[in-house]
Amino acid sequence: MKHTNRQDAIIMFFTYAALILMAFITLVPFIWLIASTFKSNYEIVGVPGTFFPKKVTGEHYRYILGRFNILSYFFNSLFLAVVKTTVGVYTSLYIGYMFAKFSFFGKKALYSMIVFTMTVPALVTMIPTYNMANSVNLIDSWWAIILPTVVLSFGIFMMRLYITKAVPTALLEAAQIDGAGQFFIFHRIVVPLSVNMISALSIYVFIGAWNDFLWPYLVLNTQRKYPLSVALSMLNGQNNTNYGGLFVATLLTIVPILIVYWIFQRRFIEGISMTGIK
Amino acid sequence: MSDAGKHTVPAGTVCPTGVEEVKEIIGQRKRVLTLENRKNRNLFFGVGMALILLYYAILFVYPLAIAVIRSFYDWNPLKGSLTYTGLENYSNLFQSPLFLLSLKNTIFYTFFAVTGRVLLSLLIALALVSVTKGRDILRSTYFLPVIMPIVATSIIWVWVYHPNSGLLNMFLQAFGIGKQLFLKSPAQALPSVIAMVVWKDVGYSIIIFTAGLLGVPRELKEAAWIDGARRYQVFFSVTLPSIMPTFTFVLITAMIGYFQSFVEIFIMTGGGPGTSTYVISYLIFKEAFKGFNFGYASAISVVLFTLITLITIIQLAVLRKGNEE
Repeated sequence: MKHTNRQDAIIMFFTYAALILMAFITLVPFIWLIASTFKSNYEIVGVPGTFFPKKVTGEHYRYILGRFNILSYFFNSLFLAVVKTTVGVYTSLYIGYMFAKFSFFGKKALYSMIVFTMTVPALVTMIPTYNMANSVNLIDSWWAIILPTVVLSFGIFMMRLYITKAVPTALLEAAQIDGAGQFFIFHRIVVPLSVNMISALSIYVFIGAWNDFLWPYLVLNTQRKYPLSVALSMLNGQNNTNYGGLFVATLLTIVPILIVYWIFQRRFIEGISMTGIK
Repeated sequence: MSDAGKHTVPAGTVCPTGVEEVKEIIGQRKRVLTLENRKNRNLFFGVGMALILLYYAILFVYPLAIAVIRSFYDWNPLKGSLTYTGLENYSNLFQSPLFLLSLKNTIFYTFFAVTGRVLLSLLIALALVSVTKGRDILRSTYFLPVIMPIVATSIIWVWVYHPNSGLLNMFLQAFGIGKQLFLKSPAQALPSVIAMVVWKDVGYSIIIFTAGLLGVPRELKEAAWIDGARRYQVFFSVTLPSIMPTFTFVLITAMIGYFQSFVEIFIMTGGGPGTSTYVISYLIFKEAFKGFNFGYASAISVVLFTLITLITIIQLAVLRKGNEE
């Protein structure tokens, strides 16, 4: 090696400095948001702005948790996300298993179509889908939000990849000879062997559902049916001057995601890494 | 049980032996279902296939066909119109200054967001793999904004960019730089939104690049060191070629995503000031759900889809060619 220890130490110093600066830039807006939830509206729009509150107030928390009743939107989001995740991950497993271990006529063509659907922008099918929801009276109904994610192309894609590798065909054959039916094999052998991918996909689908905005915004008209993201955009509307309230609501939309992330951190990063390297 | 091994069958097919024979082999086992097995397999397969066909027919093929067909119609549910107008939507589209501006903005947005995100994440990932202590916690920190709802991060950044009370102007003032308008300025608004999404999404590519870089064989790099290669030479001749598949993946997914950006524009600028930050998705949204010009909006969405497909194909071809050389 040509590099001296001194040189290496200097390089190491600047590397860490850059990495820590980046972490700082990532976190500062969140810290500022948290600090600002305790400011009065008067202080929030003051010139120049402040970082930490001059005078701490809890009025925005009282308003958002009380009169705005954010918990009801929170439970709407939670219900939708849990249903979408459960159904979506189950069908992904089911169909992914079919594509991984069954042979049938037209399999390749059908699978290519499923992969193709992933490249079509949601906006292209959104207008006709909206029109369709309208004609079957599903506008303003949660069904309109749940039904489009009953089957997930991305989930099928990931599950097929995973089951092909992680579930040995010999094991399925042995079970079949022992007299196990297909449903038994699927639920008692394939599902338990896919636990890693199930958790990675669940987190991914849950967060996607939690963050979903445009479709629920278009489809729902009744305020009490709104998920958090839509309720939040409503608070952000033109006529609102309760900035502190908006900050509290923003923070409370983020917190559940933070908790999920904190619990499943390792799984999460593994799952994301899995999608990138082939 | 050792006898059973002789009767291995490919998965998904029915055991060819008769019920009696299998019963003998398996003996006392409770579930001797070979014949029912066929029924079960068909039931399992039938349920799955019905689900696939129903779902994709109703929620993919039909809407896609309608979008393409009715892009040639004057289709407005508010006025109740549905008449064939041939290429009129498309010719109007390419003569509309707002569409051309949206297209220009979309290309600008995608180009700088992709470039910014890929360069920044590659640099950070390179720095990350060269350190040993604190790698995991740094990586988790960078990843935080990625999982946040974009509605929430957009709202936060509207305030970071606030001309009078925002965090960024506060910071710039400390360096003696005067007040900037950011989202309220036609020239700065789009770059400001781009900076927000790069900040939000860079962590995702950092994770993928770090995984890719950690997969580069150590021996390759060491061989280059021994041959006296410099740091940048090692990077361009060893590291970069080995992470090319990862690079392609990040580039294409980022590009497809940014071409369809909507929520950040909707929340942060509403297309403004004026129409300076209109992008194609925002234009589709406005035309479809504010004006209810479903036909015209469908035509725009078909153009968007065609563009994305074309660029993906070109990128794949170029990168593949680059890989072979």
